Amino acid sequence: MARAPRSPRTELLRGTLDLLILQTLSLRPLHGYGIAQHIARLSNDALSVEQGSLYPALERLQARGWVTSKWLPSPTGRRARYYTITRAGLRQLGEEISALDAVVLAINRVLRRA
Amino acid sequence: MSFFDALKFRLRAITRPDAHARELDEEMDFHLDRDAAQLAHDANGPADANEDEARYAARRRFGNRTYLAEETRRMSGLGWLELLGQDLRFAVRTFRRTPGFTAIAVLTLALGIGANTAIFSAVDALLLRPLPFRDPGRLMSVSLTVPRRGNFPPRDNVNWSWPKFEALRGMQHVFAQTTLWYPEPFTIRHGDQTLRDQGEYTDDGYLTTLGVRPALGRNFTADEATHYNGGHVALISDALWQRLYDADRRVLGQTVLVNGMPYTIVGVTPPGFQGLSGQALLWLPALTSSNPRAEPPGPYDHRFLAIARLADGVSPEQAAAVVATLGARIDAAYPDQNGQGWHWGATTKPLDQARVDPQVRSTLLVLFGAVGLVLLIACANVANLFLARASGRRKEIAVRIALGAGRRRLVEQLLAESVLLGVAGGVVGLGLAWAGARGLASLQLSAALQGNGGAVIGTLGSQAIRLDPWALLFTLVLGVVTGIVFGLVPALQATRPSLTEDLKDDGGPASRRFGGLGSRNVLVAAEIALAVVLLAGAGLVLRSLGRRMGVDLGFDAGHTLTFRVNRAPEWAPDSITRFYDVAIQRLAELPGVTSAGMTDCPPLVQCAGTLINLMDRPAAAPGTEPLAGVHWITPGWTTVERIPLLRGRLLDERDRVGTPMAVLVSQTAARRWWPGQDPIGKVIGQSRTAGGGLDSAYVVGVVGDVRYQGVDSLPGADVYLSYYQVPFYFRMMLFVRTRGDPLALAGPARTTMARWAPGFPVYDVRTMEDRVGQSLAYSRLGALLLGLFAAVALGLAAIGTYGVIAYSVAQRTREIGIRVALGASAGDVAGMVVRRGLALGAIGGGAGLVVALGVTRVLGSLLYEVAPRDPATLAAIIVLLGLVVLLASWIPARRAASVPAVEALKS
Repeated sequence: MARAPRSPRTELLRGTLDLLILQTLSLRPLHGYGIAQHIARLSNDALSVEQGSLYPALERLQARGWVTSKWLPSPTGRRARYYTITRAGLRQLGEEISALDAVVLAINRVLRRA
Repeated sequence: MSFFDALKFRLRAITRPDAHARELDEEMDFHLDRDAAQLAHDANGPADANEDEARYAARRRFGNRTYLAEETRRMSGLGWLELLGQDLRFAVRTFRRTPGFTAIAVLTLALGIGANTAIFSAVDALLLRPLPFRDPGRLMSVSLTVPRRGNFPPRDNVNWSWPKFEALRGMQHVFAQTTLWYPEPFTIRHGDQTLRDQGEYTDDGYLTTLGVRPALGRNFTADEATHYNGGHVALISDALWQRLYDADRRVLGQTVLVNGMPYTIVGVTPPGFQGLSGQALLWLPALTSSNPRAEPPGPYDHRFLAIARLADGVSPEQAAAVVATLGARIDAAYPDQNGQGWHWGATTKPLDQARVDPQVRSTLLVLFGAVGLVLLIACANVANLFLARASGRRKEIAVRIALGAGRRRLVEQLLAESVLLGVAGGVVGLGLAWAGARGLASLQLSAALQGNGGAVIGTLGSQAIRLDPWALLFTLVLGVVTGIVFGLVPALQATRPSLTEDLKDDGGPASRRFGGLGSRNVLVAAEIALAVVLLAGAGLVLRSLGRRMGVDLGFDAGHTLTFRVNRAPEWAPDSITRFYDVAIQRLAELPGVTSAGMTDCPPLVQCAGTLINLMDRPAAAPGTEPLAGVHWITPGWTTVERIPLLRGRLLDERDRVGTPMAVLVSQTAARRWWPGQDPIGKVIGQSRTAGGGLDSAYVVGVVGDVRYQGVDSLPGADVYLSYYQVPFYFRMMLFVRTRGDPLALAGPARTTMARWAPGFPVYDVRTMEDRVGQSLAYSRLGALLLGLFAAVALGLAAIGTYGVIAYSVAQRTREIGIRVALGASAGDVAGMVVRRGLALGAIGGGAGLVVALGVTRVLGSLLYEVAPRDPATLAAIIVLLGLVVLLASWIPARRAASVPAVEALKS
């Protein structure tokens, strides 16, 4: 419980987390818990992070204008904050995916030679 | 639009932080509830027994909620503002709990920051602040240059003559406006009020070049300014307008008497404008004269200073190139009159570079550096206080980390505390800075500040030093930077994650707490090193001042009143002798006066030298002729000033018109010109340069040397001639030797002169001691301030040493108790502690000495007959430092020695 609050791992994942959130929201609007569940499911828990780290990331994405949010009733009736990706967010997602592709390509090339 | 989305979001986060935080809370609750429900469901269906467990698992999966909420708020950009507010409120509460600590820290910082602001205000006023004219960056100072001539060094700041500058004006195209001016003291009379004050002669381009419009009336016209005696008109300053005319708008058209000649007032300048001299009350056209017999200024009458404004698109370098080319043409039109083939030139440089004497610049920068070191020492001291306090707060910080505070937040929090302290120190320091700036401003340094630079303008006197908004901003920035500098290391150290030990720590074994002492030792050693650097600088400068004050100037400055008197224009040049003659006689008859005399070239006033010929040998090759300072005196002047007669006789009543010209030479002159020979009876004459008077003069006596240029320069070759042999107008300074206080004679002297020449006041009345003191004012100021800074530095370093030693003693009480129990004597214990202090002193002192050896060169002209690495001074500093460190560690050592073994072990 009382370990250092920010480990190098979370630092490393920060950029990736933004990417995952944007990707998730590009399919449909979701609330925070839904995003966390979606990411956990798709990555088979391989990328499981502290689920709460989602919220600073969502705040950051909103502050940049890539994501907006609205309070809406959830299926259980209780209201929840639903996040929607913006046009700028989609553009950003595209750029990040191409950048990631380039990196993956480069790494693959190196690994194949080694 | 993403930009507007982002803006809307951020604005809401800032303007409604509470709602924003509540929503995040709700969102996180939602998340946890849903997750707990999901987990419970996944386990074995909804069962109340598992709910708590599921809830706990969800929380664990979620992470540190407090921390994450804080992180989230930080993301929206301005959340930091809210956090800063929190931090500051917390810091204020913390400081309120420890008022003693806070007061000491704030005062230490106030001392450092206040001194810095005071010196900054001087640097700002004299070196940085833009000149108070329109677009000052485009103003240039234009001067003539002369090559090395014999013993005269080359100069690039020679004044212009009117015709030479007219030639330049006609040929140049790089300046949009040009003007000539020179300062001159005037006797200004209006009604029954008479003032003797500074004015300037100028032309019609003066105000337009500087970008100043008359507040009332008009500027000079071209006709008035450029034709000889084109119009007796005057511009007056706002100050004079208030003083003599009660700011009456009907002043235009009235006449004012300047040097006894009526001038019509045509304009009043705006408030605050006092010309380039910084002191002018009145302006007259340069080509008018109050002397009806005067002639227009000739091509070799170099009395004018030139200022110009660059034309659009012309750079200073381009202008300098053009002026240099034209300088050669002007030299061809008006060749050097010595017939030696010396070629004059012309040059121009930004006016800003001529604003103060280079010596003043370097002195100010040295002081600025010194006061910066003082602040560094103050920072080190406060950092030490913080380190000591941080070890006391370890537990508090550990608890907060355990409760989920991020390290970054904690460092921010601690930095907020130190920055708050730094700014508080700045605010308190403003009081000190204000007093310091006032002190510097009142120092009447104008004479010292302007030094001997011909083209140095006086716009920026010491009276310009004040705390302006820039100084306030400087203080604020300094406070913040200071807070970060002294706060960062303690903050990083205090938050180093090592939770378990600190949580468990119950004041037990002190061993690991020595870790914090390492950086404290380094800080104190650094403090001592910096103090040594300052002490070395101050020591060298103080020794230089001592040397300067011990210099025998060659005359007796005590009991001497000196003054000048204005010449009445109605006196013809040839009757002025009689005027002075009677004046001297009457002054000498005053009760309390023992003798009176006068000279045209008194000590500590810059006079031009003259090239001379020694008639007992072939004329010297051009450029190698001897140079002499020529002094026209009343025969008794050398006696009045007690300049000793070494050989032959003094000048006396026999040396009058019609008798062969007699001359006294100084010892240096005799030794230089006639080594090993008897100078009496030798003949000297003036070199082929223009000017009359000195044809062939017979040496009748040798007198002692006088340092005419002040203590910093060696005595030169001087010759004294009797004023009575060449009746001509000279501007004299009158000397009166008194029995008692010389200033007591100022009144009677004034009355005597006023009766003799009413309406032409005596001015520049000062004792000779005052003049000598003024010539030292500048090095005295440097020595005083550097000494003060060094003393503060030493005091701070002593406090720092004491603090760290006392702290280590307190930490080691138990260890000391054990030692005493094992048989260590009080002496052993005290010795151990003192040795520790001396070790710190040795390390810091050694490092400081190495730095000092490297940097004392920057003192440059502040030093006088003391080498920058003077071993005696450095040795004295080592001894002083040793004593102070000894004292600082002896007090805690005594306390350590008196620790009773039992008590220490029991505690």
